[in-house]
Amino acid sequence: MIVSKKILIIGAGFTGLGTAIKLLKAGQDDFVVIERRGDVGGVWLDNNYPGIACDVPSHFYSFSFRLNPNWSTIQSPGGEIQEYLRVCAQEEGIMPFIRFNTEMEECRWDPAAKHWVVKTNHDTYHAKFLLTGAGHLADEFMPDIEGLDTFPGHVFHSARWDHSVDLKGKRIGVVGSGASAVQIVPEMQKIASELVVFQRSAPYMNLRNLHLYSEAEQRTFERNPDVMEHLRAWVFWFGEEQYAQRRMVPKYLEDAKKVAMTHMESQISDPELRKIMTPAYEIGCKRRLSSSGYYPAVSSPNVKVEPSALARIEGSKAFGTTGAGYEVDALVFATGFEAVRMPFTTRIFNGEGVSLDEHWESGMQALDAIAVAGYPNLFVIYGPNTGLGSNSAVYVIESQVDYVISALEYLEENQLEVFEAKAEAEEQFMDHIHEVAEGTVWLDGGCSSWYVDDRSGRLTVIWPDFPHIFREENSQFKPEGFVLSA
Amino acid sequence: MKYQAVEKTVIVDGVEISYRTSGPANERLPLVLVHGTAGSIDSHFGFLFPMMAFRQRVIGINLAEPKGDKIELEQFVAQVSAVINAEVPDGCVTLLGYSMGAPIAAKTAYELGEKVTNLILVAGYMKTDTHQKLRGHIWTSLYNEGSPLVKNFMSFNAFSPFHMRSRSLEDMLAGTAKMNITPFLAKQVDLNTRVDVLAECEQLQTRTLVVALSDDFSCPKHHSKAMFGTIINASYTEIATGHAVVHERPAELFYHVNRFCNDPECYPVGKIVPAPKP
Repeated sequence: MIVSKKILIIGAGFTGLGTAIKLLKAGQDDFVVIERRGDVGGVWLDNNYPGIACDVPSHFYSFSFRLNPNWSTIQSPGGEIQEYLRVCAQEEGIMPFIRFNTEMEECRWDPAAKHWVVKTNHDTYHAKFLLTGAGHLADEFMPDIEGLDTFPGHVFHSARWDHSVDLKGKRIGVVGSGASAVQIVPEMQKIASELVVFQRSAPYMNLRNLHLYSEAEQRTFERNPDVMEHLRAWVFWFGEEQYAQRRMVPKYLEDAKKVAMTHMESQISDPELRKIMTPAYEIGCKRRLSSSGYYPAVSSPNVKVEPSALARIEGSKAFGTTGAGYEVDALVFATGFEAVRMPFTTRIFNGEGVSLDEHWESGMQALDAIAVAGYPNLFVIYGPNTGLGSNSAVYVIESQVDYVISALEYLEENQLEVFEAKAEAEEQFMDHIHEVAEGTVWLDGGCSSWYVDDRSGRLTVIWPDFPHIFREENSQFKPEGFVLSA
Repeated sequence: MKYQAVEKTVIVDGVEISYRTSGPANERLPLVLVHGTAGSIDSHFGFLFPMMAFRQRVIGINLAEPKGDKIELEQFVAQVSAVINAEVPDGCVTLLGYSMGAPIAAKTAYELGEKVTNLILVAGYMKTDTHQKLRGHIWTSLYNEGSPLVKNFMSFNAFSPFHMRSRSLEDMLAGTAKMNITPFLAKQVDLNTRVDVLAECEQLQTRTLVVALSDDFSCPKHHSKAMFGTIINASYTEIATGHAVVHERPAELFYHVNRFCNDPECYPVGKIVPAPKP
């Protein structure tokens, strides 16, 4: 069946739901949200591994227009965030607009009809405007490991946790030492007979604040929304202050390193392990993590940190690049996501039949971090240069949703139907981004990270300036950068 | 772009004044920063100076102890004017004064006229009032007794209760222990009890942004509101911190300073501009 809609939104996570809610508030109801899973939540639905939690305080990692007094703790568990999103969708009346279990198979711009043709596993949609809300963390990254296909034990990625597997008493290998791994490892340490962590590079880590909000505190938030607003602002501006460190101002680098290293040394007494857990790059080059349980876990007698990446599998033995091998019954890949080349871009085609992935062969880029030259009426939310090293993703998403709303209003007011980013405007925008990125810790911090596209050496995932500058510059449609037509 | 700064000096009334410059010359006016009591470029503008220097030319001044038993505001004004004239002999500047630096900046702007095109007064005041005199009296009494509590008293007045709430008493005391109590500081505290630039502010025509701090126990926001009312071309905004905004929320201060330096019209004359809601 062919269904015509003004706007089609891909994904029912923070982006899709935030856009839908704001569209409804703006009086727009001719839209549909397609979601490949059977529920809302996006990354918080996919990722349900033991120990999952957000490392941004929940009072800020939430919609500014849907404050929640009932967060159980400062940095809430993933399930609680997913439940928050479900309540948002229900109470804001978004559920009827969502088509669950609907996978986007292909989006193709039809220049003659001036709309997108979106094929799914159910209906085909004709939509004047297409909005991708898949983001950087939608599809897991699995490294190509020699011999993995012959491994006799259990294998799964952290974003596709196999809860049917009983890991109690097993010899477990965790591949990776990033944000997911530091949450998984303390949980696995409790149940594994032996646990080996394949650590390509050591992370910097701050102590996580485990404060649980009491009922009285929650009631205080509920009865005094201004207290929540104040807390949000405090968290936000604290995050903004961290940007000085990403900008490599020496005092801020030193202070941040001191906090992280003091934390490590207070929790690890073994000098050899300390050496292994000391990062060999500048703080902030990779995501700085927070955990109260990771260092105690890796210090436990049943845990070994292999100071190298997983190289190959032989039978049930997993080898690091150092040549050290470990017998394991199960392998958990906490290896992150396809952030630099987002898989959904292989299924979005412009009028000439060129996929967005091909178009971005030397790295993804977009005007105002949202619109791509050659791809009319397409909004890519949480795509190129939208990741933040020092603040909440929801802040960026809300900024971009405001951009979408203002663009739609502008087009309607001026009786226009098609917008397309000018190539020169996009290049100018990217030149500015790359100029700002120079000298930041993401490029000069001496690490290899998923923030940088190996093909170009450019910072394509991260917004390289203050997050508040992102909102200043990229939350309102600027028609001068576009070719507009009726 | 890497952060780099150049240290320089100028002599005023036989006293060497150190100052720092950094940042690219561009269409923005150079920003001149004047610290407050017990401050320096590093302690009050450790965030603002480098972060603004990534966007424009910045000049930070370390006020120096003038000769004599007492300091007069004019002596600091002379130091600031000397640095401005040395570094920007022909053009105009945006001048920012924080705390005691605010009346210094206001008086400098009055004296230099159009050379100071834009003025930013953070947690400032025009005329010492009884609350501030009492604070000065307590400080001086503790200082004269040689009491170690003088540092705690400063800290108590500097930070907001909300900021302190997220720290332990031990953290706060450890922070205050680093303070350096000197005879020069005692002279600054004395100067604070005798400030009066009301007449100059009444005549100022300079485009001015007044930044008040809502939980400021050193220079409560009624002072900023009075400056907003007195200076004809002033606009007003508030940050939810104690007096030590440069430590509590330096990034929000940066937000306002950067916006104002980029386009003062973001802060319409006579208007209260609300804090951004993240």
